[in-house]
Amino acid sequence: MLDAVNRDQEPEWLVSLRDRGAKIHGELGVPTTRNEEWKYTPLRSLAGVNWNPGEPGPAVFGTDPTFYAQTTIRVVIVNGRLDRNLSELPVVPGLTLMSLRDAIYEKPDVALHLGQIAKIEDHTFAALNSAVFVDGVYLHLSAGAAVEPVIEITHVTSGEGMVIAPRVLIVADENSTAKIVEQYCSDGSSTNLTIPVTEVFVAKHSNVEHVRLQDESLDSYHIALWETKQAGESEYRSYNVAFGGGLARLDQNIDLNGEHITTRLDGVVVARGEQVIDNHTKLDHALPNCNSFEIYKQIIDDKATVVFNGKIFVHQDAQKTDAKQTNQALLLSPNATINSKPQLEIFADDVKCTHGATVGQIEETFRFYMRSRGIPKATADAILVYAFAAEVLELMSDAVVRERLERRLYSKLGIDLGLM
Amino acid sequence: MLEIKDLHASVAEDGKEILRGINLSVKPGEVHAIMGPNGSGKSTLANILAGREDYEVTSGSIEYKGEDLVELDPEDRAHKGVFLAFQYPVEIPGVSNTYFLRAALNAKREANGEPEMGSMDFMKYIREKVKQLGLKDELLTRSVNEGFSGGEKKRNEIFQMAVLEPSLCVLDETDSGLDIDALQTVAAGVNALRSPERAFVVVTHYQRLLNFIVPDYVHILMNGRIVKSGDKSLALELEDKGYGWLDELVVS
Repeated sequence: MLDAVNRDQEPEWLVSLRDRGAKIHGELGVPTTRNEEWKYTPLRSLAGVNWNPGEPGPAVFGTDPTFYAQTTIRVVIVNGRLDRNLSELPVVPGLTLMSLRDAIYEKPDVALHLGQIAKIEDHTFAALNSAVFVDGVYLHLSAGAAVEPVIEITHVTSGEGMVIAPRVLIVADENSTAKIVEQYCSDGSSTNLTIPVTEVFVAKHSNVEHVRLQDESLDSYHIALWETKQAGESEYRSYNVAFGGGLARLDQNIDLNGEHITTRLDGVVVARGEQVIDNHTKLDHALPNCNSFEIYKQIIDDKATVVFNGKIFVHQDAQKTDAKQTNQALLLSPNATINSKPQLEIFADDVKCTHGATVGQIEETFRFYMRSRGIPKATADAILVYAFAAEVLELMSDAVVRERLERRLYSKLGIDLGLM
Repeated sequence: MLEIKDLHASVAEDGKEILRGINLSVKPGEVHAIMGPNGSGKSTLANILAGREDYEVTSGSIEYKGEDLVELDPEDRAHKGVFLAFQYPVEIPGVSNTYFLRAALNAKREANGEPEMGSMDFMKYIREKVKQLGLKDELLTRSVNEGFSGGEKKRNEIFQMAVLEPSLCVLDETDSGLDIDALQTVAAGVNALRSPERAFVVVTHYQRLLNFIVPDYVHILMNGRIVKSGDKSLALELEDKGYGWLDELVVS
């Protein structure tokens, strides 16, 4: 797998990152469920596949990947490589949006951040990504840039039995603002393993909204690391919409590395059939006066399994931290499983940290109230399930993105309600 | 419109009998008040009429417009014109009142073979209802009962009733938790809906609601049976004497 990259021309820092990644991955291997961090993530079935390095995708797709990317600024990555035909890269003041491969050679900034934000020593698949990634996206906002239209990054995987390692680097310089949607989808029922790494740096006074949609085929594997580093007075709002993948895991870590930072780290998960969807989040409060809010809404049907692990570290210096975590699961079937683990470690004494985890079913009183108004039982249930998830979608600031995700939520839930 | 005969009902979960032989006949245009002390079974009766599955009808019958109501699902009852204004209306975050009512109204229209009401027509229709009841437009965009005060919730029940235009309106302790101003608004909403085709069953603990919604008949429910019936003066007598003087009428 490691031979796929032509490393002759690469700068020394990148060669050293690749070597480090290969070494870490070699040492850690594929974790078993005996590893506490991977206790509920069954990776055994990965071993049964003869994995090949990712190859460039086709020119013609079974499923039109632009279904997802309909905005004016969009970059489409097919099997980890930027596809210029599908991308739409207008000149926007203050925005650089380009192939990561090109940026490595053309933009000195890349060396300052790439591999510096993601902690690959703890994540064997991110280490592997570092060793083998071919291309991806470099998104840079220059100081003071305010990009109004949504910027879309769409990852498509096509084919079978390949390991696809897209790499994304987002750097928002001081006082910049942007809304980014990053989504993963499959061309038909591809059965690849996607191991993306996205690194985000949010500089002082910057404001970034970052929506993730995981919508790959139900036969695919997806093991991702997203890591964000925030400087003082910045705001980062992350919404993880996880619908896809047979086995899909995200580790999302935020370093709150300054004062007066605001962070949102929200999620909507819908798992059906035999899907396993696992989200591990970590908020690292290093300094005083920061706020973090986290709401995870999880809908689990059939024999699906959902894992939520929410770590919040409040270090000794991080006085006046306000951290609020809520995670709720709605079980729609007696065979659905949720493994939920809030994990707060607090070393400062003047903080406000709360967490709440609930697991429930559709409340009979709600259902009866709606039925008593004439709404049939099945519709009542659909409305209630939708409303449960919508609480997070409603937080998104862009109406077009929100409505698209609402429609996708309907179809994922198999309901037809018309727009609310 | 409504004929209840020797109705016995118990809690589905533990089989505890609550209603022990209720007889009640309600004709179109009438307002019947059901009064009784706590635990007498009056809320149970209201909920059974709407089809709550927590209770089981063990014997007797409920006929509504000549049809057996007991076997119907709650939504089918609603489609045929039964409406329950809840004692504790449920909060449904994320579902706007407008969406909720449109889903409800169109389900009813579909069940009755009427065409679906489109979005534009529906907005016009409910705005009119909002105006008629003297409510605020913001009610329409808010999530169903979410964060509403007690009074707002009860007003919303009456608003839903006005939109769905039922034939049989069952009000379950609509006065509970209301101050006098809210009580008057709610009562005015109910009175505006009174018509020769529509009947009301008003369940209440206190007489004061009946100052504003004047009943044709008052029934006193104790220990699962109607122990006394009369006209509105019976409610005033109750206000005076409480329920104690009726104890001897209760058959245990």
